[in-house]
Amino acid sequence: MTDVEMKPSDDKAKLDDSESTPSHEIKTNIALIERGVVTLEPRFTHRVLRSLATLRKRLDGNVLRTAVEEIFPRESPVKGVLLAWLPPPEQNMDVDAASGRNVITFAIAPEPCPESEVYLRLLILHYLLTNPAHYARALELAQETVGIMQVLNRRTMDPLAAKVWFAVERAYELGAELADARPLFLAAQRTAALRRDDETQASLINRLLRNYVHYSLYDQADKLVSKTTFPISAGNPQLARYHYYLGRIKVVQLNYSEAHANLQQALRRAPPAKTAPGFYQAVHKFFVVVELLMGDIPERSLFRHPVLEKALNGYFEIVKAVRAGSLSQFQSTLSKYAAQFEADKTYTLIVRLRQNVIKTGIRRLSLSYSRISLRDICVKLHLDSEEDAEYIVGKAIRDGVIEGRILHEKGWMECGTQKGGYGPEVSEMFTRRIGFCLDLHNQSIKAMRYPLNAHRKELAAAEGARERERELAKEIQEGDLDDDDLGGDF
Amino acid sequence: MSPANLNSLYNDLRRSFDTNPCDIARCGSLLAQLKSALIEAGLLLPQGQKNLHDLTIARDILEIGAFWSIRAQDIPSFDRYFSQLQTFYTDYSSLLPPSEREFPIRGLNLIRLLTQNRIADFHTTLESLPIRADAIADNPYISHPVNLERWLMEGSYSKVWNAREEAPAEEYKFFVDSLMGTIRNEIASCEEAAYESLPLKDATTLLFFSNQSELLNFAEKRGWEINLSASSVSFAKKTEEKQEIPKEKIISAALGYARELEQIV
Repeated sequence: MTDVEMKPSDDKAKLDDSESTPSHEIKTNIALIERGVVTLEPRFTHRVLRSLATLRKRLDGNVLRTAVEEIFPRESPVKGVLLAWLPPPEQNMDVDAASGRNVITFAIAPEPCPESEVYLRLLILHYLLTNPAHYARALELAQETVGIMQVLNRRTMDPLAAKVWFAVERAYELGAELADARPLFLAAQRTAALRRDDETQASLINRLLRNYVHYSLYDQADKLVSKTTFPISAGNPQLARYHYYLGRIKVVQLNYSEAHANLQQALRRAPPAKTAPGFYQAVHKFFVVVELLMGDIPERSLFRHPVLEKALNGYFEIVKAVRAGSLSQFQSTLSKYAAQFEADKTYTLIVRLRQNVIKTGIRRLSLSYSRISLRDICVKLHLDSEEDAEYIVGKAIRDGVIEGRILHEKGWMECGTQKGGYGPEVSEMFTRRIGFCLDLHNQSIKAMRYPLNAHRKELAAAEGARERERELAKEIQEGDLDDDDLGGDF
Repeated sequence: MSPANLNSLYNDLRRSFDTNPCDIARCGSLLAQLKSALIEAGLLLPQGQKNLHDLTIARDILEIGAFWSIRAQDIPSFDRYFSQLQTFYTDYSSLLPPSEREFPIRGLNLIRLLTQNRIADFHTTLESLPIRADAIADNPYISHPVNLERWLMEGSYSKVWNAREEAPAEEYKFFVDSLMGTIRNEIASCEEAAYESLPLKDATTLLFFSNQSELLNFAEKRGWEINLSASSVSFAKKTEEKQEIPKEKIISAALGYARELEQIV
């Protein structure tokens, strides 16, 4: 599935770091993590993790080896353990010499904190996952790292832990043992919930949902959603994923309007299309189908989007068929792209569209004719018999798709005029939109950050200003004693 | 209870299940005994590694139980057997040899959801079937309920009616009656909306009744007016009530905006 490849929004990653070597960047990151741990300020750790996606692509065995060599003191036991996980080096004298030189300069450095170790483990894990030959080792490393994290139980490690769980899932998935990871995730999710570890919890809920959805266990996924509360403080990337999975569950349960809302949220929260094309495409595939199922036609410009154009090709054909209300075109498109839809897991959803195609067809007919015989409906919509047509039209009238009557004796349908809609629905719609705007405003206020103790400075400044004012007043007052012209004002 | 006893009971059950017509009362009592035997052997809801042969027998017993519940027209009991079978179909699917009764039972479950009008559950179950979505059409046991659902949704009721004789297994027919009840109600509600009046004869055919007296009974239940002299049935028009302005809602919304705006400014 493509959605795993979604990268966290890393557009804000420090640009000035892009020129530096990966191992240098790792060292800077470790320093930042140390600072974050010492000052108990998760901001620094988050900054490090934002660059993870870009850093991940530039990792190789030598970079990691150099980084580990330089960061840990020579006799550190952790260093040996970490180096053992890396595959043996290719004979490269340059790197050896470089690392040898650096070890001397860094030998006096104190032992880094456990967070740094976990960060390096995370990097090694990502590196191992790039090569199919190392999948088994990656799984072992993942299991060991999880053990270490759980024994240490440090709050400063939480942001890192969330990322580690993602890597753990990848390790299980690539090792083709995704189902086995479920008990582990469930246990960890409970622990995270008890420790109020929001980030890990968010990450784990997504892992579990993905796991269930992967095996089409929508019942279990739905139960998980109803039994857990997704932490509101979770970051956008996690929230986007969560909404995507919610949307997928809802659409299977025929709850299209909620699925639509969820998928829209997922799109809004997701990183820009160019940064995470896989996720953007995956969400759009479902989004298009859900819009169709709701009876809407997606905008045409969507299919011209450079990221989506190719991926949504089959869906575009389906949209055209639904728009035209032509059953035969719909069927041929469906069979033509069956393999693609099956791979996207949208096949069963698209099959459900059949009735929408018919409804759109009837709707078009009802708009263009004021009276049409059932036989003509049958011919135009490629239905099997007039009898069917009568039932189908009857159902469409009952479902409110069209306004009209059937005159059975004469064998035709009379179409009524559309009701002009201005009722309580309008105010409801406005209420919803205003609610959204207000919520957005409140959320953005909540999201503002105030540096610690910054208000003290302001207070001091205000104090100083007041002092000056008082002095001024005094001077004036003194002056006032001298000069009677200024009296009365103070 | 000893395993030997379990085995003899199992053979007994198979014999009485396979005889035609099957002895429903006897199967019921045997099943009850067998279930307690399974619990004692820890096979009703197996966990961990078990003897494959035992598991297969346990699965067979539960499958027979599911079919028996349908024949005895006991739907809640079918539901219970089906959830117990889930363990065998999902968790042990890689170990056990596939059962030829698996898909008939899954299909029956789908039909059951359909007759109870649990469409959301129907689709959830359909998604989690262990076959590819485009292979559904090739599996008669699954494609039957899937087609029924499609026809019901698009309104091709006559196809549903015609398909009632094409059930792939004998047990499917037990659901036909309740399914016909469902579609009759569907058609009736469509007719109420789509027609002002209908000749009695046409209404009879549209609702798949074989004679007029059945229609008259049905019409009485739905509160339709029958005009015997013109031999037509007219549907009570639902008078559109005047819509009240939701005062309280508007007031509370306005107050809410005022409060929020106060906070912003």
